[in-house]
Amino acid sequence: MKAVLIFPERCIGCKHCELSCAIAHSQTKSLFSMFSEKIISKPRIHVEVGEDLLTFPNKCRHCNPAPCIEICPTNAIVRDESTEFVLVEYSKCITCGMCAIACPFGIITFDKTPNVMTNRSVNLKCDNCIERVEEGKEPACVEACKTNALVFGEINNLIGKKRKNITKTVTKSPDEAEEFELPENIKLWRSMLKHEAHSNKN
Amino acid sequence: MPKNWKPEDKSIDQATQEMIKKAEKENIETIWDRLEAQQPQCGYGQLGICCKNCFQGPCRIDPFGDGPKKGVCGATADTIVARNLARMIAAGAAAHSDHGRHVVIAMYEAIEHGAPYPIKDEKKLKSVAKKLGIAVDNREIKEIAKDVIKKAFEDFGKQDDSIINFADAYANDKRKQTWKDAGVAPRNIDREVVEIMHRTTMGVDHDTVSLIAQGIKASLGDGWGGSLIATEFQDILFGTPQIGKREANLGVLKEDYVNIVVHGHEPVLSEKIIEAAQDPELIELAKKYGAKGINAVGMCCTGLELLVRHGTPIAGNYLQQELAIVTGAVEAMVVDVQCIMPSLVDVARCFHTKIIDTSSLATFPGATHIKFDERKADEIAKEIVRTAVENFSNREKNKVQIPKGKSEAIGGFSVEATLEALGGSLQPLEDAIKSGTIRGIVGIVGCNNVKVKHNYNHITLTNELIKNDILIIGTGCWATACAEYGIFLPEYAKNAGDGLRTICESLGIPPALNMGSCVDCSRMLVLADLMARDLGVDISDLPLAGSATEAMTEKAVSIGTYFVASGIFTHLGTTPPVLGSQEVVKVLTENAFDIVGGAFYVEPDPVKAAKTLTEYIEKKRKALGI
Repeated sequence: MKAVLIFPERCIGCKHCELSCAIAHSQTKSLFSMFSEKIISKPRIHVEVGEDLLTFPNKCRHCNPAPCIEICPTNAIVRDESTEFVLVEYSKCITCGMCAIACPFGIITFDKTPNVMTNRSVNLKCDNCIERVEEGKEPACVEACKTNALVFGEINNLIGKKRKNITKTVTKSPDEAEEFELPENIKLWRSMLKHEAHSNKN
Repeated sequence: MPKNWKPEDKSIDQATQEMIKKAEKENIETIWDRLEAQQPQCGYGQLGICCKNCFQGPCRIDPFGDGPKKGVCGATADTIVARNLARMIAAGAAAHSDHGRHVVIAMYEAIEHGAPYPIKDEKKLKSVAKKLGIAVDNREIKEIAKDVIKKAFEDFGKQDDSIINFADAYANDKRKQTWKDAGVAPRNIDREVVEIMHRTTMGVDHDTVSLIAQGIKASLGDGWGGSLIATEFQDILFGTPQIGKREANLGVLKEDYVNIVVHGHEPVLSEKIIEAAQDPELIELAKKYGAKGINAVGMCCTGLELLVRHGTPIAGNYLQQELAIVTGAVEAMVVDVQCIMPSLVDVARCFHTKIIDTSSLATFPGATHIKFDERKADEIAKEIVRTAVENFSNREKNKVQIPKGKSEAIGGFSVEATLEALGGSLQPLEDAIKSGTIRGIVGIVGCNNVKVKHNYNHITLTNELIKNDILIIGTGCWATACAEYGIFLPEYAKNAGDGLRTICESLGIPPALNMGSCVDCSRMLVLADLMARDLGVDISDLPLAGSATEAMTEKAVSIGTYFVASGIFTHLGTTPPVLGSQEVVKVLTENAFDIVGGAFYVEPDPVKAAKTLTEYIEKKRKALGI
């Protein structure tokens, strides 16, 4: 099964995934024209700030079993057979918000989309860019991410990489143990951010 | 909308906190709200590794080393960071130097076309002329002034490769030799800025060291050129600052008066506004509208220019500009250039306040435009004051809340005034340094940065250093912070170490000296240079350091760079966008010592920074054998 795995320690909060997501789900698929479309496309991935100004690109995990599918009273949320992605049939969505309540990640938002004939909001969650994936491309957010905080691939292979890192970490002496080896300048930058986050509380 | 932060976390100043609360209650958006809305700020931008100098980009370098290592053209992170840094210096140097140019033009207009700017300080004019090698004996003031103007204009426009006149006249030979050896002596203030733009455009200079060297050159054109010219010409035209008592903070606004806040950087207009605010006819008009009179106060560096020369009260520094309007008691905020938030117009819409833009360089949509012209300076200033007075009747009394907070402060320590306070020469200060009563001097430079708790770094660093018997001199938003905190009072010396306290008490001076606006950082260079000459050493040998502890603007980058290039170890309390290149960081923080005798040091914690600066000063003392 292919999925987008997130490495939050590599996210530097540039929000390019958000912008690319919005472009990919727009009608014209262009940064410069999308803002003049009748319904302006919105990102379905959300980079938000957590502790110490660190960021996390939060998106639909396409869970299986998916709480949103289980709870949807109109069967508007379905699983695509070949990709296993969790998709929304907009015409069936009644905007009841049950999926949003059930979602453990809080990533379901409701908005208008040109894909529905009526002028109402529907569940606009991430579809893993199924159209792009079927064309052999990566999801737009993954393509946009230049630090590999978002990686698309066979989930077990991606986890395997993470596992190697963890093995490395636990076999190191405690004082040099780190979950992920950060370059020196990034460490410095992170420490500055941390200081900034804490300095106002002095 | 309830905020997830407290005003107490955003400023150490109570008047400021009170106005933040008022803004919150009245649903007025301020800079702190906008910082919150900007989170997360782009990591590429903060690391300095995005390039948009051509439209094949924007290109970004993966700081983790896995993604792209080069931009489309092949530029590496090192090249991109160095280019971006050089461009910041160019912008900062341009701002200061253009300010300087405007003052020279005002003096030129006065002499050649009768603009209403009489020379107020003939003594200063003669001393500047002497330094520049211009004859002064038995000559008319006008003739001397013409020659001084010519020398200044030359520095902005000459095309040969020799060092600019002002740097040549003001810097000692050892320092000039260092610049010559490093190839960084400025040739022409404008040219060095232009050359940065040329070097950093698509496909020109790729080398970090030569890019930084050009940055240094432009910054020296600022510190020993544009800024120095601004300071000296302003002193000549408007008077050299003298020591005297002033008032600072939002509490200088007066409930029953027409309040005019003059904000920005260039005193050419604000000088006239202060004059116009004293015009009996306009005061009479204010009374007709029901006010007790006109209260003209300053803000930011324009405010400091007026404070050090005329004792005009200052309402605040950079982060307080919106809050002055939030008091509801400001009839007009008159703005010129630099550090003026575009948001002022939006905040003013919540009140009757008029924002009046005056510079041909800066137009604010939504503001009242009354553009300045040197030749008609008096009329325009009166028109501006009249506009403010006529607006008094629109004030909504129930919206007025002026915080009580204001502090007294001694200000106006120009080099001349400092020498006078010391009895005519630097010797008492030098003796105190030699004997170790005072360990050294740190120059602190202005700026507030919204990412730092307002005034916290300024005050903490100053307090820590004076405890260690280090005398502080400084300018800009730092100076306003100290004025607001009461540091500029002689009695504050009780918080200093025993040595510094004794000296301050015997001279009746505070432990930290206000040297003026941020363009006046040149005064600190002149002072350092005088001391180096007296002791027969280079500036880099002296027990001196610099700091921009809440640095924010491109001007601060230029100031920091010319401090470093003048041989001064310089602390930054906020991180400039250079961490994306370890090579650039190394050049700035290590290699620069070998090239120009000074280097940068970044430390967000002011207590730790004070410790490092103190240790550096002690190291310098040891090397000098004192």
